[in-house]
Amino acid sequence: MQRLEERSNGSDVPLTCLIVDDSAFARLHLKRLIDSIENVLASEAANGNEAITEYRRLKPDFVLMDIIMPGLEGVETVKRICQSDPGARVIMVSSLSHRDKVAEAMAAGAKYFIPKPVTTVELRKAIDSVLGSAKN
Amino acid sequence: MRLDFVRIFVDSTTDLFQEVVGPVATVNSLSVKASPVAGRDVLTIIGLVGESEGRVIFDMDLFTAVQLAGCMLGEPSPGMTPLVRSSIAELASMAIGQAISKINDNGIQLSMSPPIVITGTNLVSYDKCFETLVAPITTAYGEVRMNITIQDLN
Repeated sequence: MQRLEERSNGSDVPLTCLIVDDSAFARLHLKRLIDSIENVLASEAANGNEAITEYRRLKPDFVLMDIIMPGLEGVETVKRICQSDPGARVIMVSSLSHRDKVAEAMAAGAKYFIPKPVTTVELRKAIDSVLGSAKN
Repeated sequence: MRLDFVRIFVDSTTDLFQEVVGPVATVNSLSVKASPVAGRDVLTIIGLVGESEGRVIFDMDLFTAVQLAGCMLGEPSPGMTPLVRSSIAELASMAIGQAISKINDNGIQLSMSPPIVITGTNLVSYDKCFETLVAPITTAYGEVRMNITIQDLN
């Protein structure tokens, strides 16, 4: 799939993104960052179960996923999404950046990890990285 | 009391506050109390579990909470809205999450619960009395008191 820079030079079809975070503030912040990137449409889910439902419904091009959430937490949610769609492009977003936690998320199927607080530069880099990965 | 961990919590919180709600957040003094000192309008509580256990309570005035959230949101808030509560919770979560990551890097298994925000007047913690380290952090919008209780399980 084309990277962000290439897409802004002519692709008409917008990228779709699912933001998963129990924090309304975190979802708003990520939504604003996504909105600053040309031609990307974002949807939101406030917990793991909602994320699984929305992922099946929307089949987004990539997912931004928090780790610490009440109920079904992020790593388990990624595991379930990737079991149903092994090509899912999931970017983990968390203040927990310990290598074991990152490794756990990657083992569950996540493709990239961004520490909070997220900046536009880091987000663009992460999106470009996962767009470069093949989706089955 | 794991004073080595307490230092990491305070330093991480100061760094995070400077990054997110600057311009400056400084710890003026640290003190040890017999139980948490939390009597202001807004409490944010994060539980700590793992090889050690405890909790961190952020205690601040309503004005400070609303102003901090306004800074994070990039626009003023009319009062204690759900988005303000969420912003304050996220601020605490990011600070403690970064501290826990540093502690994990030292080979200690420690995790955190999602933050809980409680609002009201004259809030008092009637929790079990544990030795608590209190760190007042001065921000441009008022003081945020960190109450940190953490001890090894054995």
